[in-house]
Amino acid sequence: MANAEAHSHEHHIVPTSTYIKTLLALFVLMVITVLVAGVNLPRIGFLSGTVVNQVIALAIALIKAFLVVTIFMGVKFGTKLIKLWASVGFIWVLLIFGILGDYTMRKYEPAPSWDSKADSALPRVTPEDPKMPDHNSTNVIIRQ
Amino acid sequence: MSANTDSLHHSHDPGLKHQYEDMAQQSETYLVGMWTFLVSEVMFFGALFFIYTLYRWNYQQDFYIAHEHLDVRMGAFNTTVLLFSSFTMVMAVQAAQLKKRMNVMGYLAVTVLCALTFLVVKFFEYSSKFADHLYPGVNFNTDAVKAFGEHALENGHVAVNMNHAQLFYGLYFGMTGLHAVHIIVGIGILISLIRLWFNKADSVIHDYVPTELVGLYWHFVDLVWIFLFPLFYLMPKPH
Amino acid sequence: MSSPTTAKAGLPPEQHEEVSYLNDGHTIASWLLTGDHKRIAMLYLISTTFFFFLGSVAAGLVRFELTSPAGVVLESETYNKVFSSHGVIMVFLFLVVAIPAIFGNFFIPLMIGARDLAFPRLNLASWYMYMTGGILIMIGFIAGGVDTGWTFYTPYSSMYSNTQVSLVLVGVFIGGFSSITTGVNFIATIHKMRAPGMTWFRLPLFVWAMYSTSLLLILGTPVVAITLLLVVFERLFKLPIFSPELGGDPVLFQHLFWFYSHPAVYIMILPAFGIISELIANFSRKRIFGYHFVAFSSIAIAGLGFLVWGHHMFISSQAMYESVVFSLISFLVAVPSAIKIFNWTTTIYKGNVVMAAPMVYAVGFLLIFTVGGLTGLFLGSIGTDVHLTATYFVVAHFHYVMVGGTMLAFLGGLHYWWPKMTGRMYSEGIAIANGILMFVGFNLTFFPQFILGWLGMPRRYHYYYFAPEFQAYHIMSTLGASVLGLGFAMPAFYLTYSLFKGPKAPANPWNAHGLEWETASPPPTTNFLEIPIVLDEVYDFDPASEHEQDMADLEASENKSGDKH
Repeated sequence: MANAEAHSHEHHIVPTSTYIKTLLALFVLMVITVLVAGVNLPRIGFLSGTVVNQVIALAIALIKAFLVVTIFMGVKFGTKLIKLWASVGFIWVLLIFGILGDYTMRKYEPAPSWDSKADSALPRVTPEDPKMPDHNSTNVIIRQ
Repeated sequence: MSANTDSLHHSHDPGLKHQYEDMAQQSETYLVGMWTFLVSEVMFFGALFFIYTLYRWNYQQDFYIAHEHLDVRMGAFNTTVLLFSSFTMVMAVQAAQLKKRMNVMGYLAVTVLCALTFLVVKFFEYSSKFADHLYPGVNFNTDAVKAFGEHALENGHVAVNMNHAQLFYGLYFGMTGLHAVHIIVGIGILISLIRLWFNKADSVIHDYVPTELVGLYWHFVDLVWIFLFPLFYLMPKPH
Repeated sequence: MSSPTTAKAGLPPEQHEEVSYLNDGHTIASWLLTGDHKRIAMLYLISTTFFFFLGSVAAGLVRFELTSPAGVVLESETYNKVFSSHGVIMVFLFLVVAIPAIFGNFFIPLMIGARDLAFPRLNLASWYMYMTGGILIMIGFIAGGVDTGWTFYTPYSSMYSNTQVSLVLVGVFIGGFSSITTGVNFIATIHKMRAPGMTWFRLPLFVWAMYSTSLLLILGTPVVAITLLLVVFERLFKLPIFSPELGGDPVLFQHLFWFYSHPAVYIMILPAFGIISELIANFSRKRIFGYHFVAFSSIAIAGLGFLVWGHHMFISSQAMYESVVFSLISFLVAVPSAIKIFNWTTTIYKGNVVMAAPMVYAVGFLLIFTVGGLTGLFLGSIGTDVHLTATYFVVAHFHYVMVGGTMLAFLGGLHYWWPKMTGRMYSEGIAIANGILMFVGFNLTFFPQFILGWLGMPRRYHYYYFAPEFQAYHIMSTLGASVLGLGFAMPAFYLTYSLFKGPKAPANPWNAHGLEWETASPPPTTNFLEIPIVLDEVYDFDPASEHEQDMADLEASENKSGDKH
């Protein structure tokens, strides 16, 4: 612990040129992402062109984020704990995206009977009203 | 064993708070605390980004047509301004490390100006959306979206689900709005930091870390925008 | 080792009576503007106790209403508001906050040998945020209350409920920031403020538990904060995020809500685990069995806690296959919890057990928590859960964990640390009797609810005329609740009495082990006059080392006598 403290005293001063280069890189990436978004990229393998566009936009955003985090926020020059902390946030967010698992494994049908014609709603029978539900009314959903 | 005698001398450093042993411990604790808070912030926006992903994935075409109303030029201009403000912020931190007080204040002032520019542009964007009734609710301007839809997809007749377009604008205002709140908070923090430097307060002039903390927050705000910009302004045409 | 293993840090008791944190400034401002973690902990103690009292009154009303199959006093609407206030107050204003903000605040710096938490002003700000949130929630309740339950499920909360949902949600949102700042403060403190020699594996297990809790606080709370804020936006500005009318998915709310709220139940129980580890090790006079396992099981629970939110949603529209996965991962959580239970019982085994008042609560915790944890497995398996969801079985399960677990641990910790916090001893006989009373009252209240739930009594109903045979169980439960209420009320009296009439407490009344017992009772404002240097292991009650000590003393005396010859 004493060792780490002694080390951190001589804090790293990053030369201005590094910051300018980073800023220029960020600008270039921004221009690229704007230009690429306007082009309809071709299909690559099983990925449709739209997906290719989206993957590229996301990749560029991630590179930009990586530059900001490592250089501007100084994680590159920080302690191990800072490096860990900086990555924890981004890794933990992926857990939220685990919720998507639910939506890939079932048909996405938010309250089908809200629409006038319920093409995907199964006929559902309520205990009070053993007749077929009226699709135009809004109070017949029984989630089971 | 005797107790640690260092603790008796800890009050010599004017920038040191009473609970710390020395400046190194104080700076490291500050940094850990700030990063922990940023992890929290990442989760805060992460949940929003997840909601956005889910709905865009399900309503791709409707979102694409709705997004045609956003002005890419304004978005790109704001991105440039924010990236530049991140640069001036990092230069302010560097000046703080080198203890160049006037430079710190200058760079911080430029950062504040950038932030204000961002907000002004955002204000014009928002007001044009409000003028066109492009916000969720009973007044939602379905005709405008429909017109854009026909213009955007050449095959003429498209069925745009107006409900999903409203969802898009709900997400747009929610996410950029919360980002703008962060910018406004950031401006407040930056101005108080400039005041501290102006008054030569002990808490900032002996140690660059408080300036660095503000910088971390500001870069985080920039980081969020780096993702918001392509997600809202640069949607590819479904093809 | 023959020398005392820890450098003595505080002043001897007779000298510092005058300079404790309690009498360092007597004005109200010196309390309300303090940066001292101990005073902020006391502020939290008073405010959480107040909210707990309000929540208990609501619980009492619920139990009273259910003594008759047709209901007694409350209209159905009022009943909905009463059980919702009970849930909101108890979860957001008491259980999530109480142990971290009171004992964590007070004892983390003392246990790791620091003068204060890392960010004292942030700490004070977190109390103000908590109070702002609490007061907003109270205004919401006075202005009409909420009828959504503490879970605020959409679309009911966002589209239909005609009650003060927005105001209460804003209150919960602001209170959430209090949790986040507390978590940030604890993590920075535990990482960077430890005294020299206080390595990670010399930390008391309470500190490990608080560290895990803080991780949950900073990683989970923002998610629920944004989710609840979106519900507010939907109510106020028609942002249609969860609105099925406009293509939003109400089940998404459940996903995001439980993404926090399942970890939140660990936020409530992990600090209790920490207290129980302290109590069991110190009152068994034994180093805790498997220290590393207990410490890392806290981290494991914190990690796994984020992977099981879906087991609250087996009967929502969640995909069947996803439910299976969540069910399996939920069973995994039983492993670190069981590690803790087994290690505690093994610590007691052949320990030199002292049945002091705090230990009585700890033993009660062990018995009740085991029941609560095991019934969790019933609910974690999909088949039985479909039968038991939204019945009193669920109610009984989480009250076994939250009341029998967290509340008993809270009271155990309160009795354990009361002498340190206030410098006064309470009557131990009454405290032990109260512990037994609570154990009896608790089981009488909630065990019948397991049976009720199994028989099919739905939760959140204010009548059960369809099944009058349930009345006996309900009356039993209500009787138990009266006993339990007495058990909660008594400490308020005898502990307050001890403040004025109790004998002065020595620095270490329990012969416990840990840095917090080496400073005075109550501690001086700076905790330690000099920062201690830690040289011994945690819970160093090992009889072997005592034997070594005796041998060393013997050798020393023999050497001395040898010199004389």
